[in-house]
Amino acid sequence: MLSEAGSEMTVASPSEKRRGVAGRGRSFRRVLPYIEAGALVVALVLPFVLGDRTDLVTLATNVLILSMLAISFDLCWGLAGIMSFGQALFFGVAGYAIALVGRDLDFSDAWATLPLAMLVGLLLSGLFAAFLLLGRKTPSIIFVAFGTLTGSYAAERLVSGWQYVGAGNGLSSVKLLKLGAYEFVEGDTFYFLALGLLLLVYLAARYFKQSQLGLVLAGMRQNEERLAFLGYRVQLFKAVLFSFAGLVAGLGGALYSYHQGFIGPGNMGPGLSTTAVIYCLLGGSGTLIGPIFGTATVEVLSYALSDIDAIRHIWPVVLGLVLLLVVMFQPRGIVGLFVSDRERIGSYGRRRSSG
Amino acid sequence: MGDEVKLAFDLLAFISVMVLIVLGLGIIASMMGIFNFAHGEFVLLGAYTVYLFQDSGLSAWAGILAAPVVLAVVGLVLERLVIRRFYAAPIVAMLGTYAIGLMIRETVRALLGGQYKSINEPLSGAFVVFGLNFSVWRTVIVLTTILVIAGTWFFLSRTSVGLQVRGALENPNLARACGISTSKLYAATFAFGAALAGLAGALIVPLYQLSADIGTRFLVQAFLSVMLGGVGTFEGPVLGAAAVGGMAAGLPWIVIPVLADPLVFVIALAFVKFRPQGFITQGRL
Repeated sequence: MLSEAGSEMTVASPSEKRRGVAGRGRSFRRVLPYIEAGALVVALVLPFVLGDRTDLVTLATNVLILSMLAISFDLCWGLAGIMSFGQALFFGVAGYAIALVGRDLDFSDAWATLPLAMLVGLLLSGLFAAFLLLGRKTPSIIFVAFGTLTGSYAAERLVSGWQYVGAGNGLSSVKLLKLGAYEFVEGDTFYFLALGLLLLVYLAARYFKQSQLGLVLAGMRQNEERLAFLGYRVQLFKAVLFSFAGLVAGLGGALYSYHQGFIGPGNMGPGLSTTAVIYCLLGGSGTLIGPIFGTATVEVLSYALSDIDAIRHIWPVVLGLVLLLVVMFQPRGIVGLFVSDRERIGSYGRRRSSG
Repeated sequence: MGDEVKLAFDLLAFISVMVLIVLGLGIIASMMGIFNFAHGEFVLLGAYTVYLFQDSGLSAWAGILAAPVVLAVVGLVLERLVIRRFYAAPIVAMLGTYAIGLMIRETVRALLGGQYKSINEPLSGAFVVFGLNFSVWRTVIVLTTILVIAGTWFFLSRTSVGLQVRGALENPNLARACGISTSKLYAATFAFGAALAGLAGALIVPLYQLSADIGTRFLVQAFLSVMLGGVGTFEGPVLGAAAVGGMAAGLPWIVIPVLADPLVFVIALAFVKFRPQGFITQGRL
């Protein structure tokens, strides 16, 4: 029963399918590029609008950093159809890695630590991909989901009991990120650093999605077995995407650690992992820009409402309700309201004739 | 000699707790093919029911009897409103039940005010056999677990409803064609699984303090148990729970405790990796 589980994320009813097809034909207009450009413009002018409100700039930077985690999950689920309940694992471990490098080696130069964090994320997720995805037998999607969940849970438990890395208290006063003699503190410059890196990550993910690789992935989400019969090594594609997602999460984790000046066991546990799921599904999985919207919505709302005592206590309940409603009634998320299915799934680059 | 018997008894008691928790999860996973992420919170609700009874001055026994009933009703309502939409899509079911679990857990956390509450054992103390002390309440748990397993097995293999359940598991379409309402059967199965979780929660809460996270601490182990034992069988999850529970309780004696938990996970996952169907081959409930 479990092995035949389809990995396409939505179970579209006939009426929903028709709505998607309506975008076909001459009148087909691409909306996504405008949304992306609009988001970039907003992100560029935001610090100037916020001006002196440093707390809001910090919040915005946080949104950008967590967006990397959300995109990392979107790469797994929205593109490769891997349900990863452990994306925070790579985020957290990379965050710990650079915090330890800062503490023990007294080193925090961006040109080395950020690539190091990406490498840590890449290697760890590559290891997980090799164990969970590759092998003679095709793993069930449930097995992969539990494997990632277990990894994240076990890591949180392990780190909470390990004195060298600060046990339950985590590592605080992480050394500031440096570039040459310049130190990045919270504020506009850190914001633009995060924005620049997020833009790079986004463009890379977008390139992945719209290349021929993205076409294969779309086919895999539709019908994995058929793709396998066509000769594609489906699991290998998944493993590649999963490793790349780990790299993105690692970069996000390093920035988070530098920005907050703190990293704790909770930053690698199932709690943050599932928050990433909420970011992505709320925004609209598979669109890449959706997870960023989802992150911004959740984080801004939780910041705005945190002053009201009554709401702060039930905020996780509200998040749960939001997830339930999205899963039940709007599996395409916020972006799905504006973007047709045809565009959401994407169009793909030409095949090179040289190949 | 005495120490070994003590250790064996503690292992047995912990395995019983695991089996109680896993049984409901396994039955739901086998019947409907969905993994219920809210199962830990059903356990929590069972524990919370006992707390409410004790808090309002009623007997804890009444609470223990009421917990499965309360949870059966909760399960039935949830199945009718939400869960039934998810049967075709196991991943969506995971997300949906996770959301439900999150809501229950955080609501209870808010109600408890983030505090730990201790529940008294309805039967406290210990009895002495051959000069060894055995906790009375742990013995009750072991005996109840044996009764529940025997009762469930009898129900599934010796009654006509049990036959319908097995039929619906084997081939849902054919069962429907024979006039068995699988929809009703699924609702009943989900309610039954929830009731088992409630019973488990009610029984184990005197051993562990009541906090909002009482369910989650077992959840990952419970999932691994079901996968390890094999979905679609009755014995599978029970054996899986015994294996995982035995390792989780026994390994801290061999390796340092911090490493024991992850080691259990690695062993279980590695086993599932190379034998995805679990201990027992599918379809023999």
